[in-house]
Amino acid sequence: MRRDQRNALGVFALLAATCFAQVPKAPSVSMAPVGAVTAQRTKQTTVELDFRVASGFHINSNTPKSEFLIPTSLKMDPPTDIVLGKIHYPAGKDLTFPFSPEEKLNVYSGDFTIKLAVHPLSSVVPGKYAMRGTLRYQACDNAQCFPPKTLPVNFDVKVVKEKSQGRRNPAQSPHVHN
Amino acid sequence: MSISEQPDDQGPEKPGTPDGNPDMNSPAAPVGRRSERNPLALVVVAMIAAAMLYFGFHMARRAGSEPSAFMGKSTVAPDFKLETLDGKDMRLSDLRGKAVLLNFWATWCGPCKIETPWLVELQKEYGAQGLQVIGVAMDDSGKDDIQKFAKDMGVNYPVLLGKEAVGEAYGGVPALPESFFIGRNGKIVERIIGLKGRGDIEDAIKKALNTESGSAPSTANADLPSPK
Repeated sequence: MRRDQRNALGVFALLAATCFAQVPKAPSVSMAPVGAVTAQRTKQTTVELDFRVASGFHINSNTPKSEFLIPTSLKMDPPTDIVLGKIHYPAGKDLTFPFSPEEKLNVYSGDFTIKLAVHPLSSVVPGKYAMRGTLRYQACDNAQCFPPKTLPVNFDVKVVKEKSQGRRNPAQSPHVHN
Repeated sequence: MSISEQPDDQGPEKPGTPDGNPDMNSPAAPVGRRSERNPLALVVVAMIAAAMLYFGFHMARRAGSEPSAFMGKSTVAPDFKLETLDGKDMRLSDLRGKAVLLNFWATWCGPCKIETPWLVELQKEYGAQGLQVIGVAMDDSGKDDIQKFAKDMGVNYPVLLGKEAVGEAYGGVPALPESFFIGRNGKIVERIIGLKGRGDIEDAIKKALNTESGSAPSTANADLPSPK
C-alpha cells in the first residue's frame, strides 16, 4: 500500500473512531486518576475523588427523593488498620422530567466530587497501600433509565510516620553535683 | 489515475530518501501525480467522514423511537412464561385475541413512574375493547419492592417478574421503559422506547386494537426463551 493511501486510511480510521465515539450507546461515569495521597499515621486525611457523568445523562444523587430510586454510593474495602472516615457526598441538583414537572429528582450530572477521609492507625507500617472500592450508580437521560452499574474506584495511599513532636530534653534536676 | 485504479500489490516497499521522503525517482510515485492524488484522497475521506458523522448522529436520534430491524413491526411477539406477583404463571400466548401493551419497567426507573399512571388510566379506558396491559418488572430487587410500588401506583393490570432471557427475546431491552404494542394476531405493531407522551401510547394502543385476530404463524414460539 502506498504511503498516501496509508495516510488516508489512517485519517479515515481516526475519523471513523471519533464518529462512533461521539455516539454513546450507554451512559458512562468515569473517575479521574487520583493524585499522590500521603496520609500520616494517627491523622485523618481527606481524599477527593472526581467523577464525570457523560454528557446527556444524570445519575441519582446519594439522597434521591424516592425510596425506590437507587442512590449513588461509594463502598471501599480498606486495608487492615486504615480506617475510613465519613464519606461526604455533594448535594445533588433538582431535576424534573418534561412530562411530569411535579416529579422531582435529585441528581448528579457533569462533574462531581466525593470526599473520603482515611485514617491510618498507629499500627500501620509506613508504605504504599492500595485502596479498592466501587461506586454504584444508576443513570438515566431525559426519557429512559439504564440498569444500575458499578465503577471500580482504586487509588493508593502512602502512609508515613507521624511527625515527631520536637523532643525536649528531660527536665534536669536542679541538684548540683559536686 | 484515481486511487481505486492503483493495484493493491505494490511489491516490497521502496526505501525513502535519507530525509524521510519517498524515493522521488520511483516510477510508482511520480511527483506530479502525488500532488494531484493527495487532495482527492483527502476530499474522499472528508466526505465519507462527514457522511458517517451525519448518519451516526441521525441513527442515535432515531434510536429512541424506531423499532430495530430485529424486533420490527409485524414481528410475531416472542412468547414467554413468567410469574405474576400472585405467584401464578402467565404466558403471553394466553392473551391471543387481545391487544397487548407489554411494558418493561423497573421500580428504580423514574420515567416508568411517570408512565405507570397513564397505563392504569388506559387499561381502564380501553380494557373493555380488548386491551390488556402487562407490566414486566426488570428489577433485581425483591418481589416485595415491586409489589409495594405496584400497590402505591394503583396498578390495575398484571405485573410479571421479568427474566433477562425474556428481555433478550425482545431485543435486549437495554433501557427502561420500553413498550411493545402487540396486535390481536400476536404481531408487534408498535414499539416505544423511553418516555413519550400519553398521546403516543394511546395512538399505539389504538393501532393494536385495530388489528384482526388471526391465527399466528406456527413459528410464534420459536424464540421462546427458556425461563432462568
